Amino acid sequence: MKSLFLLVVVFVAVRSDNDDHAARLLASKSILNQFIVEGKELTVEYSIYNVGSSQAYNVELSDSSFPEEDFQRVSGSLNVKWDRLAVGANVSHAVILKPLRPGYANFTAAQVKYYPTEESQAVQVGYTTAPGEAGIVGLKDYERRFSPHIVDWATFAIMTLPSIGFPFLLWYRSKSKYDVKHKKN
Amino acid sequence: MATSTKMLALAILAVLPVLMKASTCIGPQVTSNVYTTSEASMSISTVFVVEVAVKCNNGEKDLLLFADVNGHMVPATQSGTGKFQVSWSDEHKKLPAGTYGVRFFDEEGYNAVRKEKRSGTDGSAVTPIFTVNVKHSGTWTGPYVQTEFVATCVALLVWYMAYRSKSFLMS
Repeated sequence: MKSLFLLVVVFVAVRSDNDDHAARLLASKSILNQFIVEGKELTVEYSIYNVGSSQAYNVELSDSSFPEEDFQRVSGSLNVKWDRLAVGANVSHAVILKPLRPGYANFTAAQVKYYPTEESQAVQVGYTTAPGEAGIVGLKDYERRFSPHIVDWATFAIMTLPSIGFPFLLWYRSKSKYDVKHKKN
Repeated sequence: MATSTKMLALAILAVLPVLMKASTCIGPQVTSNVYTTSEASMSISTVFVVEVAVKCNNGEKDLLLFADVNGHMVPATQSGTGKFQVSWSDEHKKLPAGTYGVRFFDEEGYNAVRKEKRSGTDGSAVTPIFTVNVKHSGTWTGPYVQTEFVATCVALLVWYMAYRSKSFLMS
């Protein structure tokens, strides 16, 4: 009786294992910027984890949420594929873009397509997480807050020169006159 | 009879590599494009992106590349025929300025490195197909000293000199 029960348990365990023998990919997309500034680099990082029990085949990541007229590609590709992703594998992919105009941008999910097993004919489609809406700061506003303003300070220094220099010049002239008198005496 | 069998054996040996579909690249011509994070405010971690375009002399199209990134083996993504990309990121402190050598392996090399790592060594004895040197000039985290601070110091200095000469005159 006990051996029969054990056999049933093992059978069920083996059967359920076979059914779950497929890859399962979790993908995340995140923006690594503290500030998103027009004309400066925008760093996007994608991470894909295989939490299933089989290798994933022909994994394709494609992101169409960055139109060419709003984002210039600096480095990295928005459509990439991995031949296979092992069980428990954790891969990351980065793309560097440059926003071309300020305003609000909605960063939506990218698409991940893969084959969960070697024999499967149907492609599995999934999506990454979406970073959501964020504002792209204009370059002028960013510079006003963060640039070192060296030219502004230099201009300020030159502007203070008359109010300091003029009295100094008067004193110096009178001092040199006094010195000359002293020497004469 | 012996020579004919020898010829047959030689012929088979010559044809074998083609039959085995070995995805190895002979004489790779590599053009690489490298990006590293330059400003810390544009990214909370330093990101390195290496894009390579590989052309093999043996016309190999199904090449699979793996890269050795800081001791960690990572599969390269394919973004077109012969175009691969490897990217990795870490904290700013952990990726200081300098030159990082990224070794690229094909499947054979990758398995060899894995075998070496399992047997305890660090896999640096395996020859890569090619290496890309990534020059990172450091991630700028802001100026050493703020210009406002410098301006304040200069103003205080000017005031101090005036005060000293005034007290000298008055004494």
